[in-house]
Amino acid sequence: MSALGDYLVRRGAGFENRLKAWSEVFRFAGVALRGVCARSTYNSATREVVLRQIYFTAWQIIGGYVLFVAIFSLVVTHILAVAARRYGVYEYALEFTLRALVLEVVPLLTALFVALRTGAAISTEVSLMRIRNEIGALERAGIDPVRLELIPRVIGGTFSVLSLTATGVAVSVLCAHFVVTGYRPWSAPSADLRAVVGTVFDGVTMTLLWSKTLLFGLAVTVIPIAESMSAPRKIFFAPIAVLHGMVRLFFAVMLIEVVALVILYA
Amino acid sequence: MPESRVAPASTAAPVLGTPKGLPIFVRDSAEREDIISRHPDAALVAEWLPLRANLTVIENIALVPQFRLGLSFDDAAAMGLRLLALAGRTECAALRDPDISREDRFVTKLVRGVLMTKPIILVDRPALQLPDIPYPEFLESVLAPLAGEYRNCSILDYAWNAPLYDRPDSDTSG
Repeated sequence: MSALGDYLVRRGAGFENRLKAWSEVFRFAGVALRGVCARSTYNSATREVVLRQIYFTAWQIIGGYVLFVAIFSLVVTHILAVAARRYGVYEYALEFTLRALVLEVVPLLTALFVALRTGAAISTEVSLMRIRNEIGALERAGIDPVRLELIPRVIGGTFSVLSLTATGVAVSVLCAHFVVTGYRPWSAPSADLRAVVGTVFDGVTMTLLWSKTLLFGLAVTVIPIAESMSAPRKIFFAPIAVLHGMVRLFFAVMLIEVVALVILYA
Repeated sequence: MPESRVAPASTAAPVLGTPKGLPIFVRDSAEREDIISRHPDAALVAEWLPLRANLTVIENIALVPQFRLGLSFDDAAAMGLRLLALAGRTECAALRDPDISREDRFVTKLVRGVLMTKPIILVDRPALQLPDIPYPEFLESVLAPLAGEYRNCSILDYAWNAPLYDRPDSDTSG
């Protein structure tokens, strides 16, 4: 009985810790959103941090990202086109591709790509800043570290996810059109593409796509920061904070995706 | 043998022992912490208040006027560079924290403290921040040229370091 009791106590404590971590994520999300809207957040220093974040998260990788999305889109569209031809529904191949690849897979992959690259970096940097007491030093110097270091990363990271996703969507639409027209897009009437795009990208779908992408953008910055800010200030907790942040981020991104799918197709 | 980083002797009036550089000798850490807690408005220059590691010296300094006065980076950096020049440390302006010497780091924190325009600057345990040089001389050499830029400065040090502050007699030998 004692062993069972210990087990239940441990499970309860673990559940309580997870609950606290998620409540910290939502608390920081509230702080970040208020900060984003506050005029006082913006000065020459915070604008510089926002620009750096966009540079490192989006601009620095744009070439490789476009190449990856193009190759991935060409391969996936080709597979879908071959399958559609086999089942006699080739005229729907472009629509299938747009619905599956452009609306779902590309935004999800973009969020995961930014999460792996930038979310992990932000989490590590904020953990080290906190452990080294750089945050305390900024506060003591009269500089609000949330305004200087955290909110600009949320703004820059979210903007980067939105802009990379917009770029990825445009590239994958063009690649899908290229494949579905038998690699001869000039021979297909452009009205066909416009009609399919108009059907798939209606108002509700677009609203859902950009709401989902906005949530992805917030998640890849807010969750790693909140996790790092709530970790104990001991050096051996830095990798643990990064690990917890990335796992929570993965589940949050997948949850957002599933909820968006349920809303769109339920 | 590396070149000594102790600043050259200043032509400014001595400040150690005056309100611009007053050593306060404490018996233990509790007394030191008590003094710090009684000065919440002080600009602290302390080992436990590090610079931002991924910013350069001048970016670390410029943050203070950027936030306090809403200045552009160029204007804030100009203020910082002027003070660094007074302290004779402009060569470290473009370097980041891991690439600078302890003396450069100390001066950066001091300049940041000056720009905070607080009633008093508290230098906490200089022996901890400048362990490899005769630090009272170094303090004199950086505080004296900056003395016109701040109101008061106190140096919190342990009583057993007090003899280090005794001024040697002037060398009059030709």
